[in-house]
Amino acid sequence: MPVPRSRPFKLNKDGTFTVNLPDGFRELLVSLADQIDEIVAMDVPETRRLFPTAYPNDAERDAGYQIFARDQLVNQRRTAADTVRETYRKQRLTEDEMSQWMAVVNDARLVLGTYLDVSEDDDELLLDDPDLDLRLIYHELGLLLERMVTTMSKGLPEPTDPDD
Amino acid sequence: MGAPLELEDPQIVDDEVTDTDRPWVVIVWNDPINLMSYVTFVFQKLFGYSRTKAERLMRDVHEKGRAVVSNGTRTEAERDVNRLHSHGLWATMEHDE
Repeated sequence: MPVPRSRPFKLNKDGTFTVNLPDGFRELLVSLADQIDEIVAMDVPETRRLFPTAYPNDAERDAGYQIFARDQLVNQRRTAADTVRETYRKQRLTEDEMSQWMAVVNDARLVLGTYLDVSEDDDELLLDDPDLDLRLIYHELGLLLERMVTTMSKGLPEPTDPDD
Repeated sequence: MGAPLELEDPQIVDDEVTDTDRPWVVIVWNDPINLMSYVTFVFQKLFGYSRTKAERLMRDVHEKGRAVVSNGTRTEAERDVNRLHSHGLWATMEHDE
């Protein structure tokens, strides 16, 4: 199920986003949202990348950070999953909804990429790979995310940081 | 000799000095999953950086393995780390030595 070559997302003058994705792809996003929702609070290796360490050299401080961050990061993922489930058929998304779609796509890539143990230079697909289906989805999600980034970058406000 | 009291006090003072006088830096680390364009976008969105600056930091992450993306008090740095974690980036914080 390839990402459409025509523009799947478009930024409108009012700040909303038009979505031009086939039904199959929208349903894939819902399925990914459901799966993230299901495993996000579980202690499984695939979610490791969703909850990084803040203080790698200070276990005590990191434990303090994790106490508030863990639940918050879980809840944010659940909110994003809810938004995708509620809006997946819409042709037009608000900026917030679009950000939540983007979060689900990126988190799905983090989980899949961790499971597949991807490295920077293995972009080769092997037909006898037992995980070929997942690798194809991972690849397509990368293309989709690229399109989302391109479109959402156009809606970024002017830089506020004076340094170049 | 009020030993126990004096042993505890310097620790508290030290922590306060740490928080106000010695800034913390927020570091983003390279990882094989996040897209370069996405990392650039997140730096622009979260920190209000220009595209040029965001891309330069992203390149540092990609080529040198890490980049300092912001700094401040411990509270400010922790907030930035947390926002980066919300966006799926591998961020940590440490003292600026």
